[in-house]
Amino acid sequence: MTGWIKRLDWPGYVLAIFLIFFVLLPILTVFIWAFTEQWFYPSILPTKWGLKYWFKVLERGDVWAAFFTSIQLSAIVTGLSALICLPAAYAFARMDFPGKQLFMMSFLMGNAFPRFALIISIAVLFLSLNLVGTWAGVIIIQLLNTILLMIWLPTAAFQGVSRNMEEAAADVGATPLQVFWHVTLPQALPAIGAALLMTFVWTFYETEGAWLVGAPRVQTMPLMMMSMINNQLVVQYGAVLSVALWVPSLVALLLARRVMGSDSFAKGLGA
Amino acid sequence: MADTLQGSTVTPSKAVPKGRPYGLLFIALPVALIVSFLFFPALKSIFGTIWVKQPDGSYGVSIATYQFFFSDAYSLANLAQTLWTTVVTMVMLIAVNLPIAIYLRFSKSKLAIFVQVLALFPMFVPGIIIVYALIRYMGPNGLLQTLLEAVGIFGFQSPYLTPWGPVIGMLWDAMPFTLLVLTAGMSAIPTSAIEAAEDVGASPMRILFSIILPQIKNSLLVVTSLNFLGLFGQAFMPFMLGPTSPEMMGPFMLRTFSSVRDPLQAATQATIVFALCSLAGLAYVRSIARRRAQEVVK
Repeated sequence: MTGWIKRLDWPGYVLAIFLIFFVLLPILTVFIWAFTEQWFYPSILPTKWGLKYWFKVLERGDVWAAFFTSIQLSAIVTGLSALICLPAAYAFARMDFPGKQLFMMSFLMGNAFPRFALIISIAVLFLSLNLVGTWAGVIIIQLLNTILLMIWLPTAAFQGVSRNMEEAAADVGATPLQVFWHVTLPQALPAIGAALLMTFVWTFYETEGAWLVGAPRVQTMPLMMMSMINNQLVVQYGAVLSVALWVPSLVALLLARRVMGSDSFAKGLGA
Repeated sequence: MADTLQGSTVTPSKAVPKGRPYGLLFIALPVALIVSFLFFPALKSIFGTIWVKQPDGSYGVSIATYQFFFSDAYSLANLAQTLWTTVVTMVMLIAVNLPIAIYLRFSKSKLAIFVQVLALFPMFVPGIIIVYALIRYMGPNGLLQTLLEAVGIFGFQSPYLTPWGPVIGMLWDAMPFTLLVLTAGMSAIPTSAIEAAEDVGASPMRILFSIILPQIKNSLLVVTSLNFLGLFGQAFMPFMLGPTSPEMMGPFMLRTFSSVRDPLQAATQATIVFALCSLAGLAYVRSIARRRAQEVVK
């Protein structure tokens, strides 16, 4: 701790108050609305609390349909992403091949484009391939979104596996496949699990790709929520859905980050 | 873990014989995916805006769509709106996150943990929920207005559907990333350097400009270039929180593609966005290339 901050902690209080108003209160607003039955304008808190809108949302068929569409899409995308990316992550961590640095760079280069302009150019291509409005189109565009994460985190995980243990297993006669299956994979598994979990949650909430390529025929949960925000007079539907969907995903992401350590992701982007 | 990581970069692989490019097989699929669905469509749509079908049915070079864009007042107003929003949000991101990063680096109090948790919290909130929360919070007759009026402050002007709406939404969204990169850069500054400067009587401002900022130059470069790309290419936040006229390039491209059904003009708009963002993209690629080169040398 250095002197000029130690003397008094007013910067801390200023920052904390700013963040309470900027970050905490908006989130709190959603929670309050989810349990509101009536909230007349000048009142600071709802005039009538209740769970009425939870039952109303759960009765809606279109909500359930969008929910299952999103779950299926996320599962397919996460599975495909793992199949395609995990071998590549292993190669980046443990193998030597020509152009390794260049290829790793080419994945990071996906970040060097403005995202939505890319999505537009992909959509223009999909239009000529008749992929607009299909599941295949949405799956491809969401899959592209996951590649960087699914290569980067598992690469770090494979690199973190002790090489001595792998070599010891090889010395006592294990085949390379046995070494991988019994030594490397179990040690890298928690981080890989974290990457899978994060990919699933991110894909579930992916909006822009699904919006441009999928809508209106492929109705995912975020698209459903968008139309609720824009077109519905009843505020509570959006609030109930937000709370109901977001709390489980928050728990999942917190678990994933526990496994991963805090700054590996910022480092992955070249910080 | 840090030891093994370093060890693995120093000792060459023993398990797999060097020089046999098996690794290429392993990475072939993701590379193919990136090339065919990212680089190829980008190049194809850029090419397609210049190589256009002529009225007589043949194909030829034409810059008509660009001429239209740069002579159309509405298109230009949208471009200006996008630049304004991007620059204002970028400046605000640094103005908010730099003090937080400095505070977190030098304070070990319980309050610092609270500040850190809150500042990184938006990372766990998906865009759609942020948008919903902000509309309910700062929209007309929202909770913020109610709270202000309860303490006697009237005349609250909601930023919702004004140019400030997307600025606030994107500030929320990009805050954790900016803060993480700045804190990562800040952690490399030795405390002893700051203490030494204080001992010879340097003012906080002097310490900021002579020690802290030069040390986190690379982090600032990464943050600025990535934020520029991220903000300029935003469609969702401006669509939900911003005004409809003029609008940002993101919603403009979306509308041109989906509602006006003019993919050629949408591709032209995308190409113009690519061109304007190419400098930031280049700066980002250069900074990570330099970083990776350093790692290899180590």
